[in-house]
Amino acid sequence: MRTKFAVVVAGIALLASARIMAHHSFSAEFDANKPFKMTGQVTKVEWMNPHTFFYIDVKDEKTGKVTNWAMEMGSPNGLMRAGWTRNTMKVGDKVTVEGSLAKDGSPTGNARAVTLAETGQRLFAASSQGNTQ
Amino acid sequence: MGATAAVVFASSVWVFGQEQAPGQAGQEGGAPAAAGRGGGRGRGRQAGPALPTPRLADGTVNFGRVPGEKGVWAVPYITNMGMQLVGDDGQPLPAIAQARQAAAAARGAGGGGRAAGGGGGGGRGGSKSEPWMPWMPWSAAMYDYNSKNESKYDPEGYCLPPGGPRMMATPYQMEIIQMPEHNRIVMIFEGATHIWREIYMDGRKFPEGDLLNPTYLGYSIGRWEGKDTLVVENTGFNENTWLDYFGHPHTDKMSVTERWTRPSKQTLHYQATINDPGAYTKPFTVAWDVPWRDGGELPEYICQENNRYLNRLEDDLGQPIFGPRPQPGVKPSGGTR
Repeated sequence: MRTKFAVVVAGIALLASARIMAHHSFSAEFDANKPFKMTGQVTKVEWMNPHTFFYIDVKDEKTGKVTNWAMEMGSPNGLMRAGWTRNTMKVGDKVTVEGSLAKDGSPTGNARAVTLAETGQRLFAASSQGNTQ
Repeated sequence: MGATAAVVFASSVWVFGQEQAPGQAGQEGGAPAAAGRGGGRGRGRQAGPALPTPRLADGTVNFGRVPGEKGVWAVPYITNMGMQLVGDDGQPLPAIAQARQAAAAARGAGGGGRAAGGGGGGGRGGSKSEPWMPWMPWSAAMYDYNSKNESKYDPEGYCLPPGGPRMMATPYQMEIIQMPEHNRIVMIFEGATHIWREIYMDGRKFPEGDLLNPTYLGYSIGRWEGKDTLVVENTGFNENTWLDYFGHPHTDKMSVTERWTRPSKQTLHYQATINDPGAYTKPFTVAWDVPWRDGGELPEYICQENNRYLNRLEDDLGQPIFGPRPQPGVKPSGGTR
């Protein structure tokens, strides 16, 4: 077991205003009881349907090991309604991501909110989480 | 995976958008059927008084835009139609109203909300939690299966169309375009694979026998009941869809009678009676409100573009459903993500 890197548990706010986008089953893939908050550098953005993905390098502060995490968001339409454009997040940007981890243990997360380090802007990620009951 | 091991979890945290009124109406609007009536309110989005129902020149309801203005219907996310059943009075079934109250009370007592469904499958209670549904043994069993695996095999996750009433329960915007001079109504949908429906208003009958080819959206014939209610009869559905995200099944014997009204400018009231003698012992009726989003327009949405879910999807035996299957003696490549 490794020590934690820049991952802390967040008391995550109610995202009542976020536009949600349904596509595949959230809970089949992600575990809402495994929230995360981590900071890293964007290595790739796939602004595509049905889910936008971006990838961030997250460094383990103790070991120095860098892991590339895949982060899933809503569709470009949903993201645009939440205030995004395709250039809101660019490769090289430092971002803090809040979301839920994949059930399969892979470095994959469902992002609910993304905070851009440069501006401090926090945007909802059009996740379908929380709408599966 | 060393990476995930480093994450500290807070298992008690469950404060996402789920903690809302249990109307299953999603975050975007769609108060339970009765609540929006007259008030035209979609979960607070349309605050203020109800504006008059727009009408066409002949006096029938205009389900679309007022000339000179933009706007779309912001379809709510109805994940479980089993909680949307209404009686003849249009009100939620008493048992459902009680179940909602119990769920709300459980949440209020710090019960975490998720357990309200009766446990199993992340809080989804399966067929037993919806005793008011006219289950057949097989439809109950199928629903339990879909509950247990948390809708892993939802066809909508494959980018297939929702079909039937689920078109109005999938949270992408839509528009209704009436063309009375052509005796047709077209419904266009942003999401759910960017598709459209046509409602024939020319008084035709359903094609008979195999001329009625089963399709995702079925065959739709509409008529006006007075000037306020658009009644659409639908049949000819295939079996490739679920009724909802929760996975209520249906068969190709299903027919659906939709009743569309617009009690105010801001609110569409949708009601659908589902009659599927192949899956349910008697018909049942579901209903909810759909809020109007002033100024909205439909953007493009092509679900099939990059559906990675398909690549990751495995069957119950751990075999990929859509990707290449591992060959005997060959080490799997590790999959995609």
